Amino acid sequence: MTVFRGFLMITKRNIHMMFLYIVIFLAIALAVQKTTKDTSSSFQPESLNITVIDRDKGELARGLTAYLEQFHTLVDIPDDISILQDRMFYRDIYYVVTIPESFEERCLYGEELLPVTKVPGSNSGFYVDQQIDTFLNDVRILTESGFSLTDAIEDVIENGDDMPEVTLLDKNGHGGDSPDHAFMFQYMPYILISIFCYALTYIMIAFRNPDVKRRMMCSAVPVQSQNLQLVLGYILVGIFVWGICTSMPFMIYGKSFLADPNMPFYLLNSFLMTLVSLSLAFLSGTLIRREELVSAVVNVLSLGMSFLCGVFVDLDILNKGVRTAAQFLPVYWYETVNGLLANNVSFSHSQQISLLAGYGLQLLFAAVFIGVGLVISRNRQAV
Amino acid sequence: MASNDFICIENLVKRYHDLVALDHLNLSIQEGEVFGLLGPNGSGKTTAINCLLALLKYDKGSISIFGQEMHPDSYDIKKDIGVVMQNVAVFEQMSVRENIDYFCGLYIRDKAARRRLVDEAIEFTGLEDFTKMRPKKLSGGLLRRLNIACGIVHKPRLIIMDEPTVAVDPQSRNKILEGILELNRQGSTIIYTSHYMEEVEQICSRIAIIDHGRVLATGTTEELKQMIKTGDSITIEGILLSPEILAAIRGLPHVFDLTYEEQVLKIRLGTAKHNLVRVLNFLQEHDITFGRVFSELPTLNDVFLEITGKELRD
Repeated sequence: MTVFRGFLMITKRNIHMMFLYIVIFLAIALAVQKTTKDTSSSFQPESLNITVIDRDKGELARGLTAYLEQFHTLVDIPDDISILQDRMFYRDIYYVVTIPESFEERCLYGEELLPVTKVPGSNSGFYVDQQIDTFLNDVRILTESGFSLTDAIEDVIENGDDMPEVTLLDKNGHGGDSPDHAFMFQYMPYILISIFCYALTYIMIAFRNPDVKRRMMCSAVPVQSQNLQLVLGYILVGIFVWGICTSMPFMIYGKSFLADPNMPFYLLNSFLMTLVSLSLAFLSGTLIRREELVSAVVNVLSLGMSFLCGVFVDLDILNKGVRTAAQFLPVYWYETVNGLLANNVSFSHSQQISLLAGYGLQLLFAAVFIGVGLVISRNRQAV
Repeated sequence: MASNDFICIENLVKRYHDLVALDHLNLSIQEGEVFGLLGPNGSGKTTAINCLLALLKYDKGSISIFGQEMHPDSYDIKKDIGVVMQNVAVFEQMSVRENIDYFCGLYIRDKAARRRLVDEAIEFTGLEDFTKMRPKKLSGGLLRRLNIACGIVHKPRLIIMDEPTVAVDPQSRNKILEGILELNRQGSTIIYTSHYMEEVEQICSRIAIIDHGRVLATGTTEELKQMIKTGDSITIEGILLSPEILAAIRGLPHVFDLTYEEQVLKIRLGTAKHNLVRVLNFLQEHDITFGRVFSELPTLNDVFLEITGKELRD
C-alpha cells in the first residue's frame, strides 16, 4: 500500500488548507444564516427617513404629512435644493416629497403628479410612492362620496394606522422559514468543490509528473494496483471531508437537525455532491499540469458554480437566463433538492420526481466528469 | 526467447512515425559490468532504455533480462531493477527521507528492512544532513543524489542510469561517479548512458557507441581506441606557416589529417612511436618558431569522429 501511503502523506501536507476552508465555510454559513433569519422569520413594514417640503401649508398637505409620519421618520430640512441633495447623497434621507402650492386643486382634483425625489435604485422609494397614491386616492374617493375634506383626511389617517397581521405559511415545521441547517447545506457545495479540487488536483499533479510516473511504472507494483490505491485514497479523503462537513449541522444544531424528517435526504444530497466534487477534482487534476494554475482554476470552478447555481444567492433571486444556464451544472440540482428539503416535510408526487431527478442528475454529472477525465488521460498517455 | 546473457537486446526496432529511433539495435551485457551507452543527443539512448524497461512498445526485436523475456508486467524482473532517470523524479511534497522510503516501498514491503535500506541509501549518497528537507530546498547536486538514492535504495541487481549527471557541478559529478563504481563493487550491474565521453571512459568497463539508433562499435575503451587509426593529436599554437610548409607537414610519416586556422595547427597522426618528436624536429629544421604545444592520446570523441565523421557533441 505504498502508493496509498504516499497519497495520504501528500494529503496531510495540504490538511491546513482543508481546515482553513472548513473554518471559512462555517463562519460564512453561520453569519449568513443569522442575518437571513433575522429578516425572514417575521414581517415588519419598512420605515425610512423622509423629508416633506410643504409649500402649500393647506389642510390636505398637513394630512399627507401626518399620514406619512405614521410609517416613516420625518426629517426637518430647509427647502434648499443643494442641502436636500447633500443629505440625500449621504443617505441621511431617502425620499423627499415636495408639496406644491394649490396642492389640493393641482394634485387631488387635477392631473398633476406630486413632485418627489428619491435615492436612485432604492426599492423602498416605490413603497413611499404607493403610500402617497393610496392617501390621495382614498381622500379623493371619500370627498367625491360626500365626505368633507377634514373628515376624509381623518378617516384615511385613522385607517392607515391599522397594521395587517402577516403570518408565514408553515409547510415544513419551521414556521414557514428555512431550517437553520438548510443554510449550512446550501453552502456545502462551495466547500466541497474547493477542498477536493485544491487538495486532489495538487496530489494528482504530483502523481502525474511524467518522471515520477515513469519511475513508478518501472517498479515492482503493478500499475492496476497503483491506480486502485489512488482511488482508495480518493475515497478515504472524500469520506473524511464529507464526514467533517456533515457532522457540523449535527454539532451546531443537534436535536433540531436530528428531528428533521428530511435529515437522511440532506445527507444523501451532500454525499452525491461529494461524489460530484471528487469527480470534478479528478477532471481538473487531469487537465491541469502546473501547480500555479490550480488556484485560478479552482476559484473559477467553485466560485463560478456557487454564484450561478444558488449557493451564495437563493435560486429564486437569480434571473431566468442564469437559472437556465445553471441547469447545465451539477450544483444547480443540488440546490434544487436542498430547496425542496428546506421548504417541505411531505412531498407531492411531482416534488418526489424533482427530488429523484436532482439526485440522478448529480450522479450523471459525476459519471460524465470521470468519463471525460479518463478519456483525456488515455489520450495523453497515447501521445 | 531466452538468453544466457544478463541482458540481451536483439534486432530492436522502434519507429516514431517516419523516424526510426532504434534501427536493429543489438546489445548484450554481462553480469557485473558497468556498461556505457555513448552517443550524442537524439542517438536513441533513452529510447533504448525505455524499451528495455518496457515503458515503450517497440516494433520489432526482443529484450531479455536475467534470462527472461521482458514485458510491461514482468514484475519479477522489475523488482531487481533500479532506475535513475535523466530528470529528477521525486515528490516535491515529501522530505528527502520520505521520498526514499516511498520509492523503496514500491519494492520492499517489510518495514524494518525498508528502514535499514533507507538509512543505507541516505548514508551512501551522503544525504544524512538533509533528510528532513524538501527537494526544492536542495541544491542541484544534492537533488541528483536524492534521485540516485531513490533509484538504488532497494539494492537492485541491475541499475539503469540515464544521464544522471546532467547539469551537475564537477564536484558532485565526481561523487556520483565514485558512487556508481561503489555500487558496481557491491554487486550491481550498471547500464550508464551519457553523452559525456570522459564520464563513460572513467567508469565503464565496456562501452557501446550508438548513433541513429544503431550500435556503431562495442568494446572496452582500449578496444575502441584500437579500432581507429588516430594515435596522437598534436596542437601547436602561435605558428606561422606557408602553404608549402603545410604540404610538407602533411607529407610527414603517419600524418593523416591536418587543420590550420588562426595560427593554430592541429595534426592527427596514426599509431606510431615518436610522433611528437618527429613533428618538432621538422619545425626546427625549417627554422619555424611556435608557441605552446599539446599532445593528446585518442579519446572516445576521436573514436566517434572517425566512425561517424562528426563530433560527439554535434
